[in-house]
Amino acid sequence: MSLSRRNFVIATSVAAGGSMVLSACSSGGGGDTAGSGSSAGTTKYSAVTIGTKDDSTGPAPEVAGAKKGGTIHAIGPDDFSHLDPQRIYYSWNSTVANLYVRCLTGYKIAPGGSMKLVGDLATDTGTMSDGGKTWTFTLKDGLKWEDGSELTVDDVRHGIERGFASFTTEGATYVQTWLTGSTDFRSVYKGPYGGKHLDSIVTDTAKKTITFHLKTPRGDLNWALAMHSYGAVPVKHDTKEKYDKDPVSAGPYRIKQHSVDKSMTLVRNTHWDPKTDAIRTAYPDSFTFEFGPEGLQATDRLIADSGTDQYAVMAYSGVPAERIQKVISTPDLKSRTANGLLTGLYYYAINCKRVTDLRVRQALNYAWPLEQIRKIYGGPSAGDYATTILSPDIAGRVKYDAYGKLTKPQGDTAKAKALLKEAGKLGQKIVYTYPQGASDAYDKTKVVIANALKEAGFDPVVKPVESTSYYDQIQQIDNQFDVMWFGWSPDWPAAYTLIQPLFDGTTIANGANNVSQLNVKWVNSAIKKDAAITDTVKSEAAWAALDKEIMQKEAPIIPETYQRRFYLYGTKVGGAEFDPLFSAFILYKLYAKS
Amino acid sequence: MTSPMPSAAPFQVAADPGAVPPAPTAPSQGGAGRSPGRLAWLRFRRDRTGVLSAWVVLFFFVAGLAAPLIAKLYGKDPYTTYGQNQSGLLNDFGFPIKPNGGISGDFWFGIEPQLGRDVFTLLLYGIRNSLLIATVTTLLVTLLGVAVGITAGYLGGRIDNLVGRIIDILLAFPSTLFFIAFWPVMISIFVSPEDNTPTWLIVVSLISVMTAFGWAPMARLLRGEVLALREREFVEAAKVTGASPARIIFKELLPNLWTPILIQGTLALPMYVTTEAALAFLGVGLQDPTPDWGVMIQRGSQVYQNDITYMLFPGLTMVIFVIAFNLLGDSVRDALDPKIRR
Repeated sequence: MSLSRRNFVIATSVAAGGSMVLSACSSGGGGDTAGSGSSAGTTKYSAVTIGTKDDSTGPAPEVAGAKKGGTIHAIGPDDFSHLDPQRIYYSWNSTVANLYVRCLTGYKIAPGGSMKLVGDLATDTGTMSDGGKTWTFTLKDGLKWEDGSELTVDDVRHGIERGFASFTTEGATYVQTWLTGSTDFRSVYKGPYGGKHLDSIVTDTAKKTITFHLKTPRGDLNWALAMHSYGAVPVKHDTKEKYDKDPVSAGPYRIKQHSVDKSMTLVRNTHWDPKTDAIRTAYPDSFTFEFGPEGLQATDRLIADSGTDQYAVMAYSGVPAERIQKVISTPDLKSRTANGLLTGLYYYAINCKRVTDLRVRQALNYAWPLEQIRKIYGGPSAGDYATTILSPDIAGRVKYDAYGKLTKPQGDTAKAKALLKEAGKLGQKIVYTYPQGASDAYDKTKVVIANALKEAGFDPVVKPVESTSYYDQIQQIDNQFDVMWFGWSPDWPAAYTLIQPLFDGTTIANGANNVSQLNVKWVNSAIKKDAAITDTVKSEAAWAALDKEIMQKEAPIIPETYQRRFYLYGTKVGGAEFDPLFSAFILYKLYAKS
Repeated sequence: MTSPMPSAAPFQVAADPGAVPPAPTAPSQGGAGRSPGRLAWLRFRRDRTGVLSAWVVLFFFVAGLAAPLIAKLYGKDPYTTYGQNQSGLLNDFGFPIKPNGGISGDFWFGIEPQLGRDVFTLLLYGIRNSLLIATVTTLLVTLLGVAVGITAGYLGGRIDNLVGRIIDILLAFPSTLFFIAFWPVMISIFVSPEDNTPTWLIVVSLISVMTAFGWAPMARLLRGEVLALREREFVEAAKVTGASPARIIFKELLPNLWTPILIQGTLALPMYVTTEAALAFLGVGLQDPTPDWGVMIQRGSQVYQNDITYMLFPGLTMVIFVIAFNLLGDSVRDALDPKIRR
């Protein structure tokens, strides 16, 4: 159902952060950090709450000490792959979409990172009726596009209907599926260009309301609508495929110039009224993006902190493992960082179609050298060991440790070997794959993984795949890999968006995200059953229980880490905060110091 | 360039194949009864820099060849991740705890950041693998370049034209890009997707591709030299006496071309060490855990801000080796060709 590849973005750099205080190290020596490792991490996980109508009313709270004017420069390795809101799914596209795309709902982020779901274009987070089958939203007054024309309910509907068009396959598909009741929703409705509107969305221009009639009850439509894939698009200025090049802004900034793979400039949108926006502040006069420099290069430039780099931030690739010690142990640099845990889970998917014996999958879990892997990523500053499918920021998540990974993070090869022997599979070949070229770290972790597997009695075969075609290859049903590096971020902080796409056997297809290809009846029916629970507390408990049960009874994945990312910013940048949602800087909160 | 005495040339070279015909100054330096080779050897031995460089180069080759033996005596291997297995060697960030890259009685050159392997044996095996690949490639490239270049230059006409165009194409060809695109395809043909790629296959394919794209500069250079040489009187004379083209190429022309060949060859060897490292960096050459000299240096350049020692050893040895090899090449040329004095 879903096709989130947010993980791809997260994957491109293994970065790290933390709050360690280290003694300065001698040149050439790393210095002893014994005892300080456990205190890593400043960000606490907190569940997202739903805000009231007051919370949804603008203007957004001022950032203390902020002043208007200036330019913020952002440095990133790659250009944004899409600017058309309906084609945005990757979180790195979303970091910039925050500046010009507005959806019905959005996340209001308080200083420190706690989030509230509030109305963005809508006055509140919507009214649910008919047991979750009908949802109504009312638009705020004074909403305008960058040309000064009014943003209407038709534009909001148009944005959702564009999600059905043939050229917007990159976006999210939740709402389309719920509206039509079919995963093959494009055969039901072909998008707004045939002159037909979707029957299940009703708009009332006079009352400024938009009503959704869902085929299945969903208590979380307002969460899904916060995704940029459901951003509003002006009916009058829709240029279809070409909209990806020059989208029309409803937010505080508009795109002034964009040369592909080189640079992009956003300037103030004068028709944006701060009173309509409870989420965004807009201090700098403009933002410029520079595409090209990799994480290491960008880090070195920000460490040097000269010229316009004083006003620069790392757009979405974090400080790499090679510099993390330097950055954390130098107080001046440390004070210029923002860090946080990524929302998702990094894991290794075990191909259940090829590795059919549960005991072998359990043995892999026991043997996996988490500690060695994390040391290569940069130690405790690179994240926390993962033992569950659900990440800690998911509401209702219950921590458990089915394979003793917290007590023996270096891997229990003896136990793995005993399990293998019991299964009669000693010397079983395990084909391990990872994306090559995305990060040096994976070229290193493969060595410790192969060593551990050898020690546990496996016959490891390492088959890296070139990073640009990595996902296409491992998402083939008949691939020849046994263990595949993978990662997943929830689309909104609910267990459904983690477990359903990854473990529902009915979704298995070429290109689908159930990379483990787990297709077990009891899991499939449990997912279906849990998804229908509308009571929040009961639903959360049911998902948490299912999480544990899947890992214990099926072991389809090896959870690795909840990764921490660490970003540097220049000395003249103010208001730098880590976005808990898209794992980058919150651009609209930044300001330029004089 | 030496111009041999025309009348004596065919016979003299035939009598001492492989050596340059005696230069006019030779008799005054050496005296009667000594062969040109012997004279060159004597001149080389008088060149202190040359002798020292020769010892250094020899040392590297011996160290490379004897790497397994040295590693055995030393008691470590380049594959075990000591720093990961034993606590107290690497800190939480994966860098050595002890100063100077973790140098200690157990780890003479320190330990590698992150993976924690022993730098000393890693370097020994890296030198061994890199030198093996670079030496074989250089020999093949030189052989092929010399054969093609001289043949094309001497025969001229259509063949020269054809070879010239092939060289043009090869020089203009983006060989690195080609290798990156072609290599995975080739490996997938030879290796089942469920097996590890054997290291020998990587080595053989590296050598063959670098040779296939590497001979062109050498061939072009020699073709030009031969074009100038073939109009000289001694070649005319050989032709008149009825010598076959093969004889003229190998016995008349080749001995006059040792200088450019040696210079090109000595430049090529260190170049292939770096080329091979660059390919490894792009994911198509030798891969971890197979140790490689160039890969170590690249790794060093990434971590030098925290661990300069790790860059120092492979970097310093590489510099020493490349300088020594170039100086050796110079000295050998001077010895063979005393007319050119620095």
